[in-house]
Amino acid sequence: MSWKIWALKKSPWVFHVNTGACNNCDIEIVALLTPKFDVERFGIKLVGSPRHADALLVTGGVTAQAAPRLREVYRQMPKPCVVFCIGACACDKGIFANSYHMVGPVDKIIREIDPNAIIAYVPGCPPKPEAIISGVVKALSAL
Amino acid sequence: MNQKELKKRLTELEDKLIGIEEPRENCIYLNCESQNSFAVNKFLFEELRLRFVIATGIDAEDCFEVIYHYANDRAGSMVNLKAFIRNRKKPAIDSIATFLPAAEWIEREIHDILGIDFNNHPDMRRLILADDWPEGVYPLRKDMDSKIAQGWTCKTSIRPSKKSPARRTIPMKKPILAVGPFHPLQEEMEFFQLATDGEIVTDIDMRISYNHRGIEKISESLQFDQVPFLVSRICGICSASHPLAYVQAVEELAGIEPPVRALYVRTIINELERIHSHVLWFGLAGHFIGYDTVFMWAWKYRETVLDLLEEITGNRNNYGNVTVGGCREDIPDELKPRIIKDINFVEKKTNMLIKAVDDDPILHARLKGVGVLSYEDAVKFAVTGPTARASGIDIDVRRDESYAAYDQLDWDVITRPEGDVFAKVVVRLLEVVESCKIIKQAVQKIPDGPVAMKVKQIPPGEAIGRVEAPRGETFHYVRSDGGNRPVRHKVRAPSYVNVPSFKASCIGEHIADVTITLAAVDPCYSCTERLAVVDGENKVMHDYESLLRMSREKMDRISKDLGVEKLKLEDL
Repeated sequence: MSWKIWALKKSPWVFHVNTGACNNCDIEIVALLTPKFDVERFGIKLVGSPRHADALLVTGGVTAQAAPRLREVYRQMPKPCVVFCIGACACDKGIFANSYHMVGPVDKIIREIDPNAIIAYVPGCPPKPEAIISGVVKALSAL
Repeated sequence: MNQKELKKRLTELEDKLIGIEEPRENCIYLNCESQNSFAVNKFLFEELRLRFVIATGIDAEDCFEVIYHYANDRAGSMVNLKAFIRNRKKPAIDSIATFLPAAEWIEREIHDILGIDFNNHPDMRRLILADDWPEGVYPLRKDMDSKIAQGWTCKTSIRPSKKSPARRTIPMKKPILAVGPFHPLQEEMEFFQLATDGEIVTDIDMRISYNHRGIEKISESLQFDQVPFLVSRICGICSASHPLAYVQAVEELAGIEPPVRALYVRTIINELERIHSHVLWFGLAGHFIGYDTVFMWAWKYRETVLDLLEEITGNRNNYGNVTVGGCREDIPDELKPRIIKDINFVEKKTNMLIKAVDDDPILHARLKGVGVLSYEDAVKFAVTGPTARASGIDIDVRRDESYAAYDQLDWDVITRPEGDVFAKVVVRLLEVVESCKIIKQAVQKIPDGPVAMKVKQIPPGEAIGRVEAPRGETFHYVRSDGGNRPVRHKVRAPSYVNVPSFKASCIGEHIADVTITLAAVDPCYSCTERLAVVDGENKVMHDYESLLRMSREKMDRISKDLGVEKLKLEDL
């Protein structure tokens, strides 16, 4: 294990990007920070800039307008980093698969600029906060 | 005015119309040619003082239709003006945004999706389609159907383009504060540009489209009973209101009355949703002005409501409980005592929060007189929900055009005349108490019986469903041709009219007050913690952190001036 990966796994700071989600996955992510789930106990912290983040929590199936911005945000992340696709839309566009304005899913957009990106998937509509925690733990222990 | 008076006044329009239809009670359709639509609209808005709801653009094969929907709130009825545009090659109609700012966005939207030109529109830039979207491609025209069915989407550039068809040329002498597109306050990633003079905001511009998912088009490809699951995903927080509005429209089309028990179940779920949405908003509002304690506590109480919803419907959000003709899941009788117990707990805690807000001189100093949306502006921008009620407009679909079981329960509509942020806080908190009242009564009164009925066929026709979502009136228009899919399904979420009112409420405010003013209409937050500026060039940039810092510094300044301590954990 390189020291970079070792460092990545400790207290991952996350940046959250909504690329055309319905808000559900997003409020579940915020619910993670509030007293009932409180992931800040584990050093997981939502930060205000991708340049400070170790992990990218992406929700939504990536609309045409959001795609270039998502790539730009990913580019600003210090590497190595983990991309989490939260929810059915981020994993495979979900119910919006046949939309003219959806160009995702997230992994396709990210791999266009970085074929070796580390991407983890948390399906569900929306995934429960417990599922998101479990997904983060699984992904980090697999690194 | 009541319905009789309204019909009498409408006869004055006779020479401009080509027909008046009244397919159902309280729903009037006026037909006119496109050249008369401006005069008729002006009459409806300025003479009859009807509230503009939205306009729907339709590609009707041989012509284009633009339907302007107006609500007559006193009588709980709708007046719809159908303007026919016969020239398919170069469709054009006069803009009504010249006297009705509420129509500005929807005309831009119709131009985007159908290619209809609006003459004399003040600001005809792109609204909902992406910067990379090719010119001259209109997704809701019927000739695009086969292309879209084969999976056509527009190609996107690798980097955000610097020349956006939606960008406004604000004179660069003024410093521009760019907020977004990854913004802490909006569900839709919105991009705000605030022109500033010192600390005062002098102009505001918005760019949406980041969250445009083409739901109206997808809806046309789904069957009537599948659409509720799609529309519940318009907004995760209003995921009970949107399907209910759609289902009510379809039930009106089919002419069916769902079982009474289903109406009560719908009422309970919608009110639980309102509580969770308002409490969520209150927590975030606390966060923006530096009361993180309130944020954490409010979200803690909200979990109680989410647990109840999960118990009833099987999911914390996206309940998918409403179906055409009833409900999917019943509320089991053994759950009733728990609902009463939990709602009593939420009510107690809400009263505590109300007292905390009312007793706190800092909150008064920080929120009173900030971001005022006057009654006149509120009418012009046709805002709805708590935003309207905090500006003294007494409207509430639950009372005006009663649906579900609201007319059988005892509750009040909360209004405040001030129009500032403080009034919006108070309205929302008091509404939570009213919702608790409604739920407790509904649980006690709920009758026995089935919760669903079979629906065989949806006849051709058109219908409207309206529901009071937590943020305001949700409007669904459904047109059927007798097949098993809607041919047109128009959705108007409340934020669509509430958000443009920033133009009235933000201008003249301090930058430090803008965060809370933008937040005060509850524009569907999801992205509470983020703002990365990736879209601006040669502009003065503030990121979310610095905006929040400014907002909080102002709070600390006020508390120092007043010599009062901030609200502490022990006070709660």
